[in-house]
Amino acid sequence: MIKIHVEPLECIGAGQCVRLVPEVFDQREEDGIVVLLTAEAPDHFAPRLKKAVQLCPAQVIRIETAA
Amino acid sequence: MPDAVNKSATEAPNFPFERTCPFDPPPQYAAARAAATVCPVKLWNGKRAWLVTRHEDIRAVLSDDVRFSGAMAQPDFPAITPARVMVDKNERAFVGMDNPAHDAYRRLFTREFSVRRMHALVPRISAIVEQLIDDMERSGPPADLVPALAVKFPSLVMSALFGSPYKDHEFIIRCAVARHGLTQSIEDAEVKARELAAYVRRLIDSKAAEPGDDMVSRIIEEHVKTKKLSRDDFAEIGAMILRAGHDTTTNMVGMGTLLLLQNDPIRAQLAADPSLIEGAVDELLRYVSPVQFSPRRVALGDVEVGGVTIPKGEGLFMLLASANRDESVFAHADKLDAARDASGHLAFGFGIHQCLGQMLARVELQIVFETILRRLPGLRLAVPLEEIRFKHDMQIYGVHNLPVTW
Repeated sequence: MIKIHVEPLECIGAGQCVRLVPEVFDQREEDGIVVLLTAEAPDHFAPRLKKAVQLCPAQVIRIETAA
Repeated sequence: MPDAVNKSATEAPNFPFERTCPFDPPPQYAAARAAATVCPVKLWNGKRAWLVTRHEDIRAVLSDDVRFSGAMAQPDFPAITPARVMVDKNERAFVGMDNPAHDAYRRLFTREFSVRRMHALVPRISAIVEQLIDDMERSGPPADLVPALAVKFPSLVMSALFGSPYKDHEFIIRCAVARHGLTQSIEDAEVKARELAAYVRRLIDSKAAEPGDDMVSRIIEEHVKTKKLSRDDFAEIGAMILRAGHDTTTNMVGMGTLLLLQNDPIRAQLAADPSLIEGAVDELLRYVSPVQFSPRRVALGDVEVGGVTIPKGEGLFMLLASANRDESVFAHADKLDAARDASGHLAFGFGIHQCLGQMLARVELQIVFETILRRLPGLRLAVPLEEIRFKHDMQIYGVHNLPVTW
């Protein structure tokens, strides 16, 4: 499993993560800021999650792959 | 040391550079990337500024709010024309602010451009494009695709989303052009900036009296009435949203269509498999990179970028078009390739100021190119390429005209 962390205080609501991995990320209705739908995702999400980490303009997503 | 600084300032080439091919950035960008340096240039006012040309360096600068400032109103902020100095000095929207003020204002508007909201707009946006192509078919062929589609399309979308009456779109575009030109007068830039903010103030008042299903009415209800946002601040931000929503998409529709017309294999590929269009839009954004002279920053101290020390108070231009042709990120970067993964492009910028309307732009561009390919499969240029007038006179690159037949 892959663990996912976000830092909503620094999120700017660009929505890249939601576009790339809608199963994991969403935006709060009131201000468009990131919400995690799940804090863990199966390993086959790795390529898309890495892309979300890379493309997040505010660099507020971190992922941890279990050893 | 001052001598060395002065010497390099006099030796630095004048900026901006000219393009030698209308589809590629100026050749100096590739030369700068190859030298792996951040290079000094001389601006119109004799001031030195620095060009950041590599993908990695641009991401680093735009992610660094500690060493760099994006506050446009400061005297050191680098500007491409005297008119732009005036515009920057008067910028009141969060596009010209550093944090924490930037995030506080931006967050009042992010929900209006959320992925969910933009997906919900798809049927309305599709209907607008279908209608415009109906109109083109009724009065043509031929047609000039710029006024017939590239200009009207985002205007109609912004009208539906923002709430600005469609009849006002020519005025809004004139205001955008007065800001985004390279040749306009200081007076024109200043007057048009003031006129557009005044226009949005009047729109706010009329929507306050008579609300509709639009962004202005929602922001009044949620943020102005609750005192989170003043009417004047909203007017400045609204003016920014209107300008950005009209001019950038227009240029991507024009240039994007021209590129598709010049590349039959890519057109055939996309027509056969519309699921490729989402990725192709990223590739077109990468390849065109319409925003030419932004983002900009000022060094807050003596700072190092890509191995070069930028002295405190000097300005930097992030050349997005250069980052998007960086071979270390995009193999065969000068080749348009609809099948590549272009998602790492920086056409929308990076960092806290990355384009607020990017999801709207993506949705608009996906729909418009899909519809053009489906409805007008025989679309082709009605004139030789030499008769296309490219926007060498604008800060946002594109085409002034695109005569087509089908």
